Amino acid sequence: MLLANRRTLLRIASVVALVLALGTLATAADAQDKIRIGYAISKTGPYAGGASITTLPNYQLWVKDVNAAGGIKLGDKRLPVEVVEYDDRSSSEEAVKAIERLANQDKVDFIFAPWGTGLNLAVGPTLNRLGYPHLAVTSVTDKAPELAKRWSNATFWLGTSAQISEALAELLGKLKSEGKIGGTIAMVSVADQFGIELSAAGREAFKKAGFTLVYDKTYPLGSQDIQPLLKDAMATNPDAFIAFSYPPDTIALTEQAQLLKFNPKIFYVGVGTAFPLYKGKFAANSDGVMGIGGWNADSSALKDYLARHKAATGQEPDRWASPITYASLQVLQQAIERVGKIDRAAIAAEIRSGTFDTIIGKVKLKDGLLQEVWCVGQWQNGEFYGLAPTSMAGAHAPVVPKPQWQ
Amino acid sequence: MTNGASKALLWSAGLALVAALGTYPLYANGYYLAIGISILYFTILATAWAMFSGPTRYISLATVAFFGLGAYTAAVLGEAWPWPVVLLAAAALGALVAAITGLSTLRLSGIYFVIFSFGLAEFIRQLVIWYEVNVHKSVGRYLFSAVTQDIIYWQLLGLTILVFAAGWLLGRSRYGLALRAIGADETAASHSGINATRIKLAVFMLSAVFMSVTGAVMAPRWTYIDPSIAFNPMISFQVVIMALLGGAGSLFGPVLGVIPLVLLFEVLTATLPNHFSILLGATFVLIVMALPRGVIGLVDIRRRSAVTATRGAAPVRDGSGPLLAVDGVSKSFGGLCAVDQVSFDVARGQIVGIIGPNGSGKTTLLNMLSGALRPSSGTIRLGDTAINGLRPYQIARLGLARTFQLVRVLGDLTAAENVATAILFSSAPTASEPAAETIRQLLDLVGLSPIHDALAGELTYIDQKRLELARALAPKPRLVLLDEWLAGLNPSELETGIALIEKLRERGTTIIMVEHVMDAIRALCSHCIVMNAGSVIARGTPDEVLSDPKVVTAYLGGADA
Amino acid sequence: MLLFDIVLPGLVLGGMYALIALGLTLQYGVARVMNLSYGESLVAAAFGAVSLYGGLGLSPLVALLLAVPLAAVLNWLLYRLLLERLMRRGKDSGAQEIDSILVTFGVLFVIQGIMLVAFGGQYYSYSYLSIPIVVLGSTLAVNRLIALTFVAVIGVAVYLALTRTRIGTAVRAIAVDANAARLVGIDVSALSGLAFACGGGLVAAGGVLVSMFLTFNASMGVIFTMKALVVVIMGGVGNVLGALFAGLMLGVVETAVARLVDPGLTLAATYALFLGVLLIRPTGLFGRAPS
Repeated sequence: MLLANRRTLLRIASVVALVLALGTLATAADAQDKIRIGYAISKTGPYAGGASITTLPNYQLWVKDVNAAGGIKLGDKRLPVEVVEYDDRSSSEEAVKAIERLANQDKVDFIFAPWGTGLNLAVGPTLNRLGYPHLAVTSVTDKAPELAKRWSNATFWLGTSAQISEALAELLGKLKSEGKIGGTIAMVSVADQFGIELSAAGREAFKKAGFTLVYDKTYPLGSQDIQPLLKDAMATNPDAFIAFSYPPDTIALTEQAQLLKFNPKIFYVGVGTAFPLYKGKFAANSDGVMGIGGWNADSSALKDYLARHKAATGQEPDRWASPITYASLQVLQQAIERVGKIDRAAIAAEIRSGTFDTIIGKVKLKDGLLQEVWCVGQWQNGEFYGLAPTSMAGAHAPVVPKPQWQ
Repeated sequence: MTNGASKALLWSAGLALVAALGTYPLYANGYYLAIGISILYFTILATAWAMFSGPTRYISLATVAFFGLGAYTAAVLGEAWPWPVVLLAAAALGALVAAITGLSTLRLSGIYFVIFSFGLAEFIRQLVIWYEVNVHKSVGRYLFSAVTQDIIYWQLLGLTILVFAAGWLLGRSRYGLALRAIGADETAASHSGINATRIKLAVFMLSAVFMSVTGAVMAPRWTYIDPSIAFNPMISFQVVIMALLGGAGSLFGPVLGVIPLVLLFEVLTATLPNHFSILLGATFVLIVMALPRGVIGLVDIRRRSAVTATRGAAPVRDGSGPLLAVDGVSKSFGGLCAVDQVSFDVARGQIVGIIGPNGSGKTTLLNMLSGALRPSSGTIRLGDTAINGLRPYQIARLGLARTFQLVRVLGDLTAAENVATAILFSSAPTASEPAAETIRQLLDLVGLSPIHDALAGELTYIDQKRLELARALAPKPRLVLLDEWLAGLNPSELETGIALIEKLRERGTTIIMVEHVMDAIRALCSHCIVMNAGSVIARGTPDEVLSDPKVVTAYLGGADA
Repeated sequence: MLLFDIVLPGLVLGGMYALIALGLTLQYGVARVMNLSYGESLVAAAFGAVSLYGGLGLSPLVALLLAVPLAAVLNWLLYRLLLERLMRRGKDSGAQEIDSILVTFGVLFVIQGIMLVAFGGQYYSYSYLSIPIVVLGSTLAVNRLIALTFVAVIGVAVYLALTRTRIGTAVRAIAVDANAARLVGIDVSALSGLAFACGGGLVAAGGVLVSMFLTFNASMGVIFTMKALVVVIMGGVGNVLGALFAGLMLGVVETAVARLVDPGLTLAATYALFLGVLLIRPTGLFGRAPS
């Protein structure tokens, strides 16, 4: 008896859910009186940490700035931007489904990219098939040139992992030739694709620059104790300590290094060094620490951006991908305005070929990749200045050796 | 509406549904197709999961281990090998890993198995990471393929049909019955001749194969596969919850849990992304609290399964020499010697009684005879075969049946099904008579015919005992062990019980009874063995042993003799 | 000496694992609730400590005095309002376990959702007592040592309470066989609620203490739940000292593997150890077989 009731209950529930789903998920298409932008971002799950610092605030800031200025110019009208926002829960499957939802149900004009290499790759084929410009900013992979060739609508904005290691090696090589540091490097990397690519490229580049790797180990993602690793690295007495790490380990390594009074001449930790969280936690001790990213902190455009970001979102941007994310959206806006209508193919082509003015300066992509990307930065007097590639405008001289931990 | 017309209507509705499902990609837009894909792949995972975990009650959280292995196989081989071969490779890998890990069910049960299965998935993930980092030197795998959502949908639809077909065939076969018996009471099941290990392993492997092939099919959809993406533990939890909600005990139960939950996730994601978590959690709590009999009440084990197997029981074999020869058998547990050098013979057709005060080792002795325990030393021969050291199901198949001191019926099966398990698994294949006939005769014999369809767990104590006896007799065993079968009966039930055993004696069944009811011993046994503190202290006819001063001392203590 | 340099930090790490698992030992081992939202409670307590430290400058050690009773009360309410009904209507322990898994799965999402709305998805981290101290030639962090000391003291205290007091014995009786306990006059639901509440207090203490040195965000609850479960199961369900021992053992093994074998194999080694223990002793190191 109860059985029959339960089955019936579940059947009714299914039907109701189906009706609700159909009802709430279908929306009518509007006449073009605004520009609809959709995105699914990781608000929950393991990627939420990165997405909530680098990506989501910049999407929100840009929309605010654009609408404050009256909207995007389309032909002779200025159309405001309307946002449809979803949570991809850090899942590839959800991210793909969300793109379909945005394209087919919400019928948005443009779709912003998710956070991270994994999700950008997951949605890449779908965005390519549907023809939306794909601004894959937070996707750092050595395969970027190949992906840009495969997906003509996609653009990559943080370079490749190899670039980062090579820039670091070049900087260290210069310091070595100036006699500021010796020739030994201890390198640890997180056992994730990014860490592996960085360390593989690093191994080659450091050797070419004349360095010896006296310690070279990987550690699992999510390790809660980095101390053993650090102690062994310390025992080799390296001139430079390089860690290709993720935010929780970046912080743990820094903290443990302070505890162990580990003061190599160069202390470089990976992702997360450029986050405001790092400066917040370590305060004066962060000075001298190098990491991935950097920016030209003296630029007035960036100073203005910093203030606006803080005012609009309540937090500071990171000093690596945040300004680039914002700049990529500026590029999108200018491309839309240049094309003058919602012609996604033309806009994607314009993004690839045009030259644009952004908060990070003039931007012109080559084969779909941003060329001038800061790879090494260092905290100096409370700001994370870009050091390398040394050829970029505003590159600061590195402070070597790193001051002792207090 | 006539029967014929309603049947026709049902058929055409079914066909329409099948047609709608099959042509779905042709009329659904990309988004609805994505939802369809979600529903299908969770259906396959949940149904495959329930195939094993439903009847056996081993709640497994290892789903994602197999799913991830399949995804990885596709990621590694997908661009090099033809796709059907890739799927076969995924299936093979899933089966292999399931075979190895399924052996763990020999040692673990309950919550330990649950957490073990979770730890296993994580362990496999760590191994894959280590391999990728150190051997392959690259953690993520790229899988570029031209496959579209349509093709993925159709592959999943095919898999869904296969998984339902497999489940249906399994349910109708004797292995389905065996699975439910194992889930009800594994000890009783193995004493009925069911090789529990092999069946559990086989079904676990079957379910794992479906999971790994599903993973392989889904991999191209995500383009980039790394261990966190492939081995996401949330998938394991979601599958368990969907299957349990819909009903893990029946074939079409899980899909009833999958559809509302997938749609619920979608609706919540689409309408209230910022509060998704809170609402989802609240809905969950409400659902679980509202179900009147709890979620496990939804694990619907009761099924109208027709016992269709026709294998009958082997006829009793003839031969010379004692039927059972026990020689110098001992059993020690650490320092405690429970059974000490016991030897005796049992001739064909005899009823032998084993009596003695509590703790004298009688049940331990019986357990060694039936294979539940292994003797520390000594041999036991049943006919010509040495049976010490054999597993219970093997001894059962050689013709030794038993009842248990604390009655063990397969509670979730009907009375008829209880008897059927013993017939289908204990006996050698001869078509001497159809099983259904044997079942009816036996239930008649023990007086349970009117309630042959009742659930064994709901029977009265005396009826459960009768059922146990019927189950023991079903495979026409050469030797029956009765472990205090008459315990706990009131005087009139006792009369009936003794009469029943007498009937068995008339049929020529050889019986060993462990008893405390002396009247029964006197009435039934031709020979008695008395045990005390593990050794045999007296043998002979009941009258002889019961007047033996040693026996009286053992029962009543020295001072009162 | 290398041995000390492995064992001491290993014990400190293991102390953290044991601390994380301590509350679950009571909640699952005694109250028989498989609380999947356990890790969320830990993270919520950590957020509480962060807010108090950042907002009021309140030391986490003081925050403990606020967090523990508050968490105990909230957990007690959770038990009374939701879980008690499930425990009562469950036919057997298997049914209760499944029901409690599903309901606490829902609670997990609710707590996580609230934290996400309140704090967002980003990482939080602060430093407190991140001072080095050299013990037997090995450099350890004071905050981690405090965590180790706390779990040792509280673990022993809980053990003594369970074995030397009447209430403790009653609680252990419930863990062995709730029905039999009822028959001898033990108020099973009241004491189970008490045990569950105490477990909640302990997990809050764990959360406050580990917030001193770990970086966390709102989505990390599941990681902690799983770690705690591994420790509890490995140590033997319901056995407080067993959980302590299992946690410490895991910490030492992880550190040893990191120093002596390969840092990349630490997590694989801990899971291998866990699986191995279960295969050799199916009810955990010190657990008893189910009655």
